[in-house]
Amino acid sequence: MKIGKVVGKVWAERKVESLRGCRLLLVQPTNSHLQAVSKIIVAADPKNTAGVGDLIVYVTSTDAIQAFDHDFVPVNASVVQLIDSID
Amino acid sequence: MFLAKVKNVVTATEKHPAYSAKTVYVVQPVKPDGSAIGDEWVAVDYVGSRIGDTVVCGGAPGVAQEVFKLQRAPIRTLIMVIVDQLDYRDI
Repeated sequence: MKIGKVVGKVWAERKVESLRGCRLLLVQPTNSHLQAVSKIIVAADPKNTAGVGDLIVYVTSTDAIQAFDHDFVPVNASVVQLIDSID
Repeated sequence: MFLAKVKNVVTATEKHPAYSAKTVYVVQPVKPDGSAIGDEWVAVDYVGSRIGDTVVCGGAPGVAQEVFKLQRAPIRTLIMVIVDQLDYRDI
């Protein structure tokens, strides 16, 4: 899992059926000092956990699919935590 | 997943059966402002995207096999979203 900051949203009508109604966020991966590291990614937010400006934890690869309740979704990054603080 | 722009079509008559009847593109990863970043990828289209579209690509091990319900699927990168609009703030 990684830390990231939500820096935007993706609006899209035409997408994979299983992503219908699922929020897609632009996430800037950061370190624990909130400095940007590597490239902006797109992460699914099936539980509507976060919004723009929030600090999150996201999970990658096939484990990202586990963030969804229903069937198989071809994602490889999903938000799993809304961070309150890193002390 | 990552944002990308659909650049070229890849046509191949000789290919693994998993690629039959599928559109294969070259995609260039882009930043939210549209500028290119990182290397190009080859991606299998899954939502009817066309050259010039901004899309979201992704894929993890075994995903394509599940999505296309294939016995064997040596496919990693899928185009799964055609972006209509992006909200992005450089914060």
